[in-house]
Amino acid sequence: MSPPERLAVNRLRENLPLDGPTIDRFVTRFGSPIIEGERATFLYRGDVDEAWVRHRVVGLPDPLPLKRIGESDLWSVTTVLPEGSRVEYQIEIRKGEHYERFNDPLNSRLAHSPMGSSSVCAAIGYRVPDWAEFDPEARPGTLVEEQIRSKALRRDQPVQIYLPARFNQAQRYPLLIVHDGTDYLQFAAMKTVLDNLIHRLDVDPLVAVFVPPRDRLKEYPHHAPHARFIARELVPLLNDRLPLIDTPEARCLMGSSFGGVASLSTAVRYPGYFGSLLLQSASLVFTDIGFDHGGGPAFDPVVKFVNRYRQRPTAVVDRIFMTCGVYEPLITPNRSMVPVFRHTGMRVRYVESRDGHNWENWRDRLGDGLAWLFPGPQKFVYE
Amino acid sequence: MTTILLGPQRFTTTVGATVRSLKLDGPIAMINSGWEERESEDAELAGHLDGRGVNLQLHHRMMDVLEKDEHFAAAALLFRDRQDELRAFYGIRLQAAIDAVQAVAHRSSLHAIGPAALESAVDAVRAVDAWYAAELDDLYRSVRATAPLDESGTIGWHRGEIGAVLDGCAGVVIAGGNVRTLLRTLRVFDVEIRPELPVVAWSAGAMALTDEVVLFHDHAPHGVTAAEVFDRGLGRLPGIIALPHAKRRLRLEEHDRMSIMARRFPDHRLTLLDDGAVVRFPDHRLTLLDDGAVVRFPDGATDLPAGARYIGLDGHIAVVGAA
Repeated sequence: MSPPERLAVNRLRENLPLDGPTIDRFVTRFGSPIIEGERATFLYRGDVDEAWVRHRVVGLPDPLPLKRIGESDLWSVTTVLPEGSRVEYQIEIRKGEHYERFNDPLNSRLAHSPMGSSSVCAAIGYRVPDWAEFDPEARPGTLVEEQIRSKALRRDQPVQIYLPARFNQAQRYPLLIVHDGTDYLQFAAMKTVLDNLIHRLDVDPLVAVFVPPRDRLKEYPHHAPHARFIARELVPLLNDRLPLIDTPEARCLMGSSFGGVASLSTAVRYPGYFGSLLLQSASLVFTDIGFDHGGGPAFDPVVKFVNRYRQRPTAVVDRIFMTCGVYEPLITPNRSMVPVFRHTGMRVRYVESRDGHNWENWRDRLGDGLAWLFPGPQKFVYE
Repeated sequence: MTTILLGPQRFTTTVGATVRSLKLDGPIAMINSGWEERESEDAELAGHLDGRGVNLQLHHRMMDVLEKDEHFAAAALLFRDRQDELRAFYGIRLQAAIDAVQAVAHRSSLHAIGPAALESAVDAVRAVDAWYAAELDDLYRSVRATAPLDESGTIGWHRGEIGAVLDGCAGVVIAGGNVRTLLRTLRVFDVEIRPELPVVAWSAGAMALTDEVVLFHDHAPHGVTAAEVFDRGLGRLPGIIALPHAKRRLRLEEHDRMSIMARRFPDHRLTLLDDGAVVRFPDHRLTLLDDGAVVRFPDGATDLPAGARYIGLDGHIAVVGAA
């Protein structure tokens, strides 16, 4: 067995003091972060007083301070990063009294979300699933934009309806209702994902309706008008207009974060009306005693709802597919809810990933989740 | 009656050589409705037939019927909905029965109860299969009563055309694809292949020639993991269950699992049709094309010819005629 090779940044340190051209060659060659086995070295170059890596990985210190290499303007920090991990981060610097936070200038890999963009550090072994990327072979479905008049919400609610390739009125389709629908389309490439998974026969052709919120923090944590809109207005309307399989088994609610709470709470308000849930990093925060949950006022209605559900858990759907990143703070509540759900008799498949609370994590888990909830017609095809 | 079953044709193409070996004089009818909306993209297949291929266009015809015959379209949709529901219930019962077989098979038995328990558990699976088949028969009877295919003018017109084309053909090839679509088109248009007409079929096409079409995919990510009885085929090769892509789709190395599958269908030979395989049925002789086998069934014969590979009751792969 050969000894582990020394890290690139440590080899660089052998050349102290560093001159500009040496540093230029180093950052040009390696960029940032440098992935060596299960270690990641973050670099920052600049004339600053302090620099940090900012991230939301539970278990690693945040901020993660970088150290200046010698007297140079190059800063670095090395941290452990297990195989398959994917981390979103930014660089923060201090120059005198001035603080600034931005994406890593030495890393072109970015992830996007409604909050803006972040730099991405992908560990050894992480790969973007090939079904998450555009496949010219996959026949595209179509997205139809609609405004639906909602009495429950007292407004016109925009939705986007996905019809699979080869949509045919003489067929029947299951229905997937997607909370934060616009974000799933924009940041989790969900149309591409659906096109590909259906094309590969991993997922049954389905109709998906992408529903964006207006006031997310109000409508998603256990909000009666929202649930009424979904169950009593949206689904019946779609049933009238589209060839859907009109049974609970063929109806699924999905969402991430607060959208996961919206999915569960809608199913709780209308038990037996939906057959399955796809919950991604659902914000299922609860307290076992008292009400000091630490999540801020936005989480008050969530905690009230989850606490009440945990007191008397009931089977509200047949199946739940749950995912959560092990680097996000919600990992503990999600792990804790799995036995609660299972105890009711619901079938639960729970998947963890070495990732955080972000859209690419949720995108990467769609393949497993959708294929489990809507198994494709592979058994019918023998080319 | 010459019937030849081939392995999948995507990577090892044997259909051209096989058809040429039959020395047929005349056009060859092509049935590739399993390709669904790609049915018309048949240039490559026609090329393998030296330009003699005549596409029966069964999928295209089906679309025409669905568009023109509202009564049939409604009945077809209702049938599909009911069959889907039947399959859903069958899947639940089948999976539970298969899980029971596996639990029984893995339980220690100190007092020789195990084998009897296992046989009984496999019987229970057969009972579920039989229940599904009986319900499906009822479903067909019901749809025939409410929407007799013979009364549809559009279907009758297409049947007439198909019959005329077949009358002028010297042979038939049936390609793979979606076996459900393929079977449906064959059934709706009542495609009758005269016994004397040679047939070369592969993948879903091979399945359609048998009397028992069984769906299988041990590596499918989700859904019912056990093989599922689906429907009856044309019955030209009774007693055979065709398993295309067997190496890719079955856990052949798991002999206990394969044994249970074989024991579910004791009256059938579970025939493996992998790349390069050719099962030939007129003279019981095994012909080798490329690096695979040809399985050929002789006139009227339905027994597997020597050299054909199948899954034995012990779950191991056996070869017909091997010592």
